[in-house]
Amino acid sequence: MKMNNIELPAEQTPEFSSVDETSLIVVIFDSNPGQKLLRDNPHILTHCLDSIIAFSNSHLMQKAQNKLAVMACHSKKSEFIFPGSGKPLDVRQIDGQYETFTLVEKTIKQNLAKHLAGESPMLNTESLLAGAIAMALCYIARLQRSKSPGCMLNSRILVVTGSSDSAMQYMNYMNVFFTAQKQNVVIDVCALDQHLSLLQQGCDITGGLYLKIPQLQGLLQYLLWVFLPEPPIRQKLVLPPPAKVDYRAACFCHRELIDIGYVCSVCLSIFCKFSPICTTCHTVFKIPPLAVKAKKKKIKL
Amino acid sequence: MDEDDPKEYRWETGYEKTWEAIKEDDEGFLEASIADIIQRAKRKRQSKKVYGTKLGMMRHLYVILDCSESMSSQDLKPTRLICSLKLLEGFMEEFFDQNPISQIGVIIMHNKRAEKIMNLAGNARKHIKSLKNLNKTTLVGEPSLQNGLEMALKSLKSLPTHASREILIIMGSLTTCDPSDINSTIESLKKEGIRCSVIGLAAEVYICKLLADKTGGVYNVILDDSHFKDLLYQQIDPPPAACGQESNLIKMGFPHQMAVEGTEEPLTMCMCHVDSIDEGSKLTTGGYYCPQCYSKYCELPVECRACGLTLVSAPHLARSYHHLFPAMNYKEFAYENQAEICSGCQKQFTENEKEVYKCPNCNNYFCIDCDIFVHETLHTCPGCATNSSTFQLTQTG
Ligand SMILES: [Zn+2]
Ligand SMILES: [Zn+2]
Ligand SMILES: [Zn+2]
Repeated sequence: MKMNNIELPAEQTPEFSSVDETSLIVVIFDSNPGQKLLRDNPHILTHCLDSIIAFSNSHLMQKAQNKLAVMACHSKKSEFIFPGSGKPLDVRQIDGQYETFTLVEKTIKQNLAKHLAGESPMLNTESLLAGAIAMALCYIARLQRSKSPGCMLNSRILVVTGSSDSAMQYMNYMNVFFTAQKQNVVIDVCALDQHLSLLQQGCDITGGLYLKIPQLQGLLQYLLWVFLPEPPIRQKLVLPPPAKVDYRAACFCHRELIDIGYVCSVCLSIFCKFSPICTTCHTVFKIPPLAVKAKKKKIKL
Repeated sequence: MDEDDPKEYRWETGYEKTWEAIKEDDEGFLEASIADIIQRAKRKRQSKKVYGTKLGMMRHLYVILDCSESMSSQDLKPTRLICSLKLLEGFMEEFFDQNPISQIGVIIMHNKRAEKIMNLAGNARKHIKSLKNLNKTTLVGEPSLQNGLEMALKSLKSLPTHASREILIIMGSLTTCDPSDINSTIESLKKEGIRCSVIGLAAEVYICKLLADKTGGVYNVILDDSHFKDLLYQQIDPPPAACGQESNLIKMGFPHQMAVEGTEEPLTMCMCHVDSIDEGSKLTTGGYYCPQCYSKYCELPVECRACGLTLVSAPHLARSYHHLFPAMNYKEFAYENQAEICSGCQKQFTENEKEVYKCPNCNNYFCIDCDIFVHETLHTCPGCATNSSTFQLTQTG
């Protein structure tokens, strides 16, 4: 099963000559029924799911040794819905469909149904995407540990979500972004409904792509066009230009973006104005630096 | 820190206990047991970390490297110097990763003199480059510990008092040749609150021990190269804020990339390369602009050369937050079918599982590999972070 859809000069792509190279995608699908998109129109869930299944199968089709995992992310729990725990489903070939594809589709749909059934009726809580990414990183770390020596495993995480990202998860987001960067895991984000400024920073830090899709109808096209090519190939393709990332700090006091602020020298908390005590570590500061503006210079003897 | 060299942790578990732990597994192989010992040592080290203490995050560290004749000894491969330089390269990278707005300077000691190789600065790449150049240093004469310390002291003294100030000495020689009484130097270091640690490459030296004791540092003599690496890397974790160090709120700028919708950015000159000899100033589009005076820089963090504002990006600061908000330590339990799979990596627990690890916050069970990965690298518990009732809880909070 090989698809030679992109022909590239051999000398520029030495990393693709090896057969022992495996590409793993962990898709994190935000299926939280509390997100606005799904509250307004529950049918969208099936549409998104079908697109993700088609995308997943396209990835598996590209190379026989490619690997796939799919997670469902909610506010109380995130779960692997593919491969999923327990025995793989028993599938027979239907209508000449490649069995793996049937297996992917059936497993995902069955496990997601189970996952949704376990959801509490509380609908207004945010999807904990940072946590799902943390689980994905543990999963990827295990595959890295257990792969046979001499094998290359290139891993990436694709987040598909209609939620917004909130500063409540700020620490967890930063921790997973820096870990992904350290482990060479690329984070791609496909935003279905709202602009996600924190996740966009994650894409920038890990070298992934961020795309807020203009219309939901075309989801599958966007997935296949933008997110299916492996990161090294992307440079050769015409993709949407990277957006400027806003790296301004959010102050701890009001969660507002600031370009000049005050940082606690003990714990590095950020505040938008001078305050005599740090609310994070309770350190008491001396008089504002403005009052002693004329800095005393030490005179050399 | 990621290489799993079995001999790396031998001294930690202690030789006398090692043989007890080595048991043949079902197939009669020993590898599994050895891997087990390494993992246990890692866990032990993790659980010993004390949390909740205040940390000196804006660290200013001088590395004083012995470049005397004794460094040509081949008891470390290929030589003491080359081995030290190689380890220091990795150290610098890891140091800046964990202490993002800190600075390192480098001083060498040879022929009774001290020489400053690198002023205090915060750019790992430049440091590594200057370390590479030290390869060809001629190793001559005796070191002068006092001259090295005085040079570092002079530079550290002029720093603002809120900064944490440290010296790390790598000493191959067993003697030092000093111009006057070194005890007075040690006294001034103590008075300034400068923490001095020493890594000895040969044998214990009284004056080094005294220096470390008096200034609140640590003194160790290495056993072999991997022990050397371990001692060096222990210096990466920020030390508890030195006593008497003043706390301050520091004004900082968070530049964002220019984003004027629909306009092409003009070519402009950056301030970082204005007087760099080997790279030269470049005209570039993009870059980071000081929000106070609009000078442009191509890299962060940096102290604005025009107005003195410290410029950082918010994620730079966030890299250090895990020291303040660490993930809770997991508790070890004998495996009695508490869970079917590891809540992190999804590994199926089997009959062969000896222990599992439980998070006291979210009550999920994890395998030993995930326990180590979560506390050493990730710093976020995947169980806690996926549940809205636990995702904001941390050890200190
Ligand atoms: Zn503070
Ligand atoms: Zn695990
Ligand atoms: Zn937990």
